[in-house]
Amino acid sequence: MALEEYAGDYNMCCRCSACKFVPLQMVKGFEHANVCPSISRYNFHFYSGGGRLNLGAEALDKGFNYTPRYLDVIYNCQMCGACDVSCKYGMDMEVLRPIQELRIKAVQDGHAHPALDKVVDRMRKQGTMVAGKGKRGAWAEGLGLTDAATKKVDVLYHVGCLTSYDKDMQKVAKATASVLKKAGVKFGILGDAETCCGGRAYEMGYEADFLAQAKKSMEAIKKTGAKTLVTSCAMCYQTYAVLYERFGLKGDLKVVHSSQLIAELIGNGELKPKNDVDLNVTYHDPCHLGRLGEPWAHWEGTKIPGDRFVFDPPRPYRRGTNGVYEPPRQVLAGLPGVTLTEMDRIKEYAWCSGACGGVTDSNPEFAEWTANERIEEAICTGAEAIATADPWSEKLFAETIAKNDGALKVYDIVELVDQAI
Amino acid sequence: MALDKDIYSAFADVVGEENICDDPVMMAAYYKTDFAAVIMPGNTAEVQAVVKLCNKYKLKYRPISCGWTGVFIPGTVMLDLRRMDKIIEIDEKNMYAVCEPYVTSAQLQAELFKRGLNTNIKGSGAQGSALLRGHGPMDQSCGADDRNHLAVEWVTPEGDLVKIGSLGSCDEFFCGDGPGPSLRCLVQSTVPPSCTPGVFTKVATKVYHWPGPERYHLKGNSPNYSLAEKPPYMMLRYYSFPSVDKLMDAEYKLGEAEICFILYGINMAMVSANVTSSNEEQEALFHKIAGEVQGPGFVVILAGNSEKDFEYKKKVLETIIAATGGESLKAVEEEPQIEDTLMRQCTRVSGAIRETFRPGGYFKSIPVMGQRDLTVRWAIGAGEAKKPLIEKGLIVDDGGAFFGWGVEHGHLGKTEIFCAFSPMNPEAWKVVDAWESEEGGRALDENYFALTMSPLDVIDEKTGPKLSNYHLWWYKVLDELDPNGVIPLKGVSKLTP
Amino acid sequence: MIAKQKLTKIVGGANVSDDAATLDAYSKDISFVNKVRPAYVVKPRSADEVRQLVAVANETLTPLVPVSSGAPHMKGDTVPGIGGAIVADLSGMNKIVFVDRPRRVCMVEPGVTFGELVEATKKEGIRLNMPLLPRSTKSVVGSLLDREPVVMPKYQWDISDPIACLEVVFGAGEDFRTGQAAGPGTIEEQWKVGGVQKAPYGPHVATWHRLVQGAQGTMGIVTWASMRCELLPQLEEAFVVGSSDLEPLMEMAAWLIRLRMANECFLLSSTDLASIFAEEWPKDFKRLRAELPPWTLFYVIAGYDYYPEERVSSYLSDTADLAKRLGLDPAKSVGSLSARQIMKAVQQPCPDPYWKLRGRGACEDVMFLSPNDKAKDFYEIMCGLAGKAGYPVSDLGTYIQPMVQGCGCHIEFNLFYDPDNQAEACQVKDLADQATKTLMNAGAFFSRPYGDNARTIMNRDAASVAVLGKLKKVFDPNGIMNPGKLCF
Repeated sequence: MALEEYAGDYNMCCRCSACKFVPLQMVKGFEHANVCPSISRYNFHFYSGGGRLNLGAEALDKGFNYTPRYLDVIYNCQMCGACDVSCKYGMDMEVLRPIQELRIKAVQDGHAHPALDKVVDRMRKQGTMVAGKGKRGAWAEGLGLTDAATKKVDVLYHVGCLTSYDKDMQKVAKATASVLKKAGVKFGILGDAETCCGGRAYEMGYEADFLAQAKKSMEAIKKTGAKTLVTSCAMCYQTYAVLYERFGLKGDLKVVHSSQLIAELIGNGELKPKNDVDLNVTYHDPCHLGRLGEPWAHWEGTKIPGDRFVFDPPRPYRRGTNGVYEPPRQVLAGLPGVTLTEMDRIKEYAWCSGACGGVTDSNPEFAEWTANERIEEAICTGAEAIATADPWSEKLFAETIAKNDGALKVYDIVELVDQAI
Repeated sequence: MALDKDIYSAFADVVGEENICDDPVMMAAYYKTDFAAVIMPGNTAEVQAVVKLCNKYKLKYRPISCGWTGVFIPGTVMLDLRRMDKIIEIDEKNMYAVCEPYVTSAQLQAELFKRGLNTNIKGSGAQGSALLRGHGPMDQSCGADDRNHLAVEWVTPEGDLVKIGSLGSCDEFFCGDGPGPSLRCLVQSTVPPSCTPGVFTKVATKVYHWPGPERYHLKGNSPNYSLAEKPPYMMLRYYSFPSVDKLMDAEYKLGEAEICFILYGINMAMVSANVTSSNEEQEALFHKIAGEVQGPGFVVILAGNSEKDFEYKKKVLETIIAATGGESLKAVEEEPQIEDTLMRQCTRVSGAIRETFRPGGYFKSIPVMGQRDLTVRWAIGAGEAKKPLIEKGLIVDDGGAFFGWGVEHGHLGKTEIFCAFSPMNPEAWKVVDAWESEEGGRALDENYFALTMSPLDVIDEKTGPKLSNYHLWWYKVLDELDPNGVIPLKGVSKLTP
Repeated sequence: MIAKQKLTKIVGGANVSDDAATLDAYSKDISFVNKVRPAYVVKPRSADEVRQLVAVANETLTPLVPVSSGAPHMKGDTVPGIGGAIVADLSGMNKIVFVDRPRRVCMVEPGVTFGELVEATKKEGIRLNMPLLPRSTKSVVGSLLDREPVVMPKYQWDISDPIACLEVVFGAGEDFRTGQAAGPGTIEEQWKVGGVQKAPYGPHVATWHRLVQGAQGTMGIVTWASMRCELLPQLEEAFVVGSSDLEPLMEMAAWLIRLRMANECFLLSSTDLASIFAEEWPKDFKRLRAELPPWTLFYVIAGYDYYPEERVSSYLSDTADLAKRLGLDPAKSVGSLSARQIMKAVQQPCPDPYWKLRGRGACEDVMFLSPNDKAKDFYEIMCGLAGKAGYPVSDLGTYIQPMVQGCGCHIEFNLFYDPDNQAEACQVKDLADQATKTLMNAGAFFSRPYGDNARTIMNRDAASVAVLGKLKKVFDPNGIMNPGKLCF
């Protein structure tokens, strides 16, 4: 939908401020009631989901005026979707999508963020979001994995830019490959032929670039013959499962996050974790696996004229209900010696790690601030480690903890599974 | 309307550069009003300094906390109190809590629940400030209006710090009145355009006993939560009555019997909105259950302090309902999820938006606090006046209903009636505005009550003279408290040049 | 000085007094305030006459001192602060305007006493939340305007309760009605559509009656007040709990109130309880005091229209658990006093002579508000001061009234003395002064300042005084209303 088609949603915001907080019944105390990193950090109402909608409504009416503050608001948002979930507890309206459209429009109107420009340019030219030396597939050397670029596979393990190129995060790729192998899953990787899913570019506001990249990615995937794409990257998961579906690019490809697959494998006995991991852990729900990972619901229709905000056919709202929440938990529950203590903000109302929305590139300080809030919340549980299912979150957590000389350990779920089997 | 450079710098010196914004483009997010600036003080001293600067430069200012609604004058300086968000104290022995303005009711309630305590939450929702004066579902047993405030830390319009009540004399928050006459006469907290002079920076609010669990343990995912365990000694029912008279009879009897934790007189449209997560679901449920009620009704929640207490309350409830011709809504009795959802929503006050804004996207309402039976009599007429608008399809069909409930076990009351409509429909706006004006005018002309959140020319010419000329006294009070004219009210009324 | 004729023209000759005996009677009271003779004592009979009096007082800048209760006065607030004043005695305005059972509200003029109102409301099955044993001449309106503590904290949602609305003639001369009574329409027009002047807040963003309450007549003269009433119970069970330790009793009271189980609920020291019930002095008083525990918590559990026995039974069961947890033993009697006897007594005004004056003839009260958990500390401070002053601690009366549904308590130390004994009177005055200052320094909140200490108390809160001064300029610009009181 074009930005103008969200006019109803922009104007619907009544400024109730629910978007700033976790769903109200989930407020468990004074701490951890906030859910929007942007307004929590910057405090002005215009940094909240509702505030952004108010700005959009005004801009639709009076024209777009890209002042420095306006751009600051546009880019200091992780696009985490927490505001969307909280608002949709009570309202029938879109929140995240109209907010995304504002950023897309800013880019279209020539007001891209220079740091994000660099990243997207890299994607255009090199097919990666992450700068890296050497080849994309180098992490897999010596592992004897099937090369899907040359051999057809049913299951394609999509590694993702970060875990391919980043030396600190390649462990996730290796652990995933190890677990899949041990489980007897016949899979392949594209290695050097793998290209970026483009999802982060979409969040950064580069819709056209995303679509171009997505086409490239799907071409490469189709060539492998894969029916199922598995990934350990929550961002990639959401991109393939949801964004590609939204833009009609996914086709029949089944998209599965590694936590879902592993949960199934443990559940049906094909994977038997035996080793005692001995860890008291808390679990961070990545936005892109959780609330943003809810399956896309296609819809085309019109508002029914009259008194009520209802549509024909009824407009389905993705309210964060059906994100991937249980499989990672089931995995953790299946690992010997792992005790899970939940944080206050979980599942569809989890606090963002800070790694989304291009903020790690456009405003690293804000990304770190956001991560630090989450780390403190994790520490409150008494857990010795924070586990998640998203390498972008893990990287940011690890760096932030190290910067502050913290003791909290960071793991990807797949690493713990690999340890346990 | 950006500030003069030097003035901007002066404010920035107080709150820090990151806490002031005068970009006119951003003001759209603040009530679409052309504020001079939005300034966010972080503590009482900063509030005072900002207010003193406003006095120095003769800039009008208004504070907001969570700030849902408001009507403001262009050129005003907006004090957004978001950074003042601490719970200062919870004193269980003296039954009060002290909060800064941006503590949400949800946060305060959650902390109080852990201690077996509770706070009344305004009907606008638990995302609102814990300090707000107003009414909500728990009024029956948890007081309401300005009657839950105790001591207040108040920055006057001139920027002086006045600690009202025991706070000023002995640095305690337990009492808001004295020495001598109470300055709580002036400080209520209210929604703009009404104008409480100055800024509250801390307020003590009464807390109440909570017999329920430390926390509602919920399962499921938004928006479909449910209780993992129904609290013992708590029960919710919806009762409908064959007439407004019977409903009022039951309401008064229940109030006098002092058995209800909550008596929440919402209509079927609101019930169906409250427990559903979309407009379509709401419509379907409304059509199903609207036929099951015999007339107007209310939600009752009983909460027993013990098993015996609970059983007693249930017995009395059944007796009163039977005596007044009430009938229990089967949908609540037979579908546990409805009882479950309503119980959570009413206690944690998280359903307001579903009831009001979701159906049409917008709503305008006439809320009245005061003598319950009197305001109900007026509301019947206001409800009838909605019906032609419903027939024309301009407002959401709720049967022309109004709602409300007894406050303080029926001593006082709250009645409200609203029209829900699409904000994109200019004709709907017109007719709803007209309805609001006509019904408000009728209330005044027929001596039921007066709406004092009207335009100032209406206050000066019509309303004020009919209300003991309160407006003239109020303007004189403001003259004394606000010599520099920084309260936005002044200069807008022709009586306050 | 204002010409008598001007006053006669307003209230009639029979209602203007300037004879020495009358003026003398109003020039002093039992408190230690200086004797100041008024110029006249005037008895208006209607709100219109009050209005005219205020107008004339403004014209001539004559101080006006409103009084509604009959003697004996004890706090000094009705003794003129300066000479040349007119005392406006409203005791003749004693109409009970209405008692409304369904809406649980009544409206009375200033001269109505508690005895009169108790009878009138009883007929309708309701009652006022009363202070403890007001004297027979005490004006209901006067008591409520003074913010006197009430014996049923459960029903005191706000410290201004049970006041609802007021009609007041401000010192500026205009009259005003507070709360729902403000309008629209006259009171009669409001009655016509069923309005009963019940809601206290407003109009608009102010809650005007709070300005008049606690003002000791310095803002204006109230010509009627409406007030909320409570149902008369169908069944009542009274209990007493004796202890030498105040703290567990305070905790029990806190829970009784928190769980809304008790109606009347207060604590009295043995001296006060004995003072109230002694039939003969000094023997009976001494006997009674000796057999009473140092502290007695008194409370009543009640049932109303629906299954009163079951309600009482359920509360009895819960209070028994509570008492057990606190190691206390609720009983039906304490010493030779039955709880029922106490209950009957406190549901009426005090029979003459007023209990505080029976023993020695006079009493100086040191009264203030306190957080619940500081009550014991304040008591110990007071005992220390009494001891130092040579005032026997055993003669010190103490009344602790939990208030506002558990938000703190009213504490009152009653210093009984023989007013004809100069030395005793001086001792008590000095002790009261010393106690006020010491307790204030220790954190006691003297919310109702009277007498010579009022200025000191008010000055403690200079910021509030500054605002009160501004309000005074609005509502009594000429400063005619009871000058010399509070901070005015």
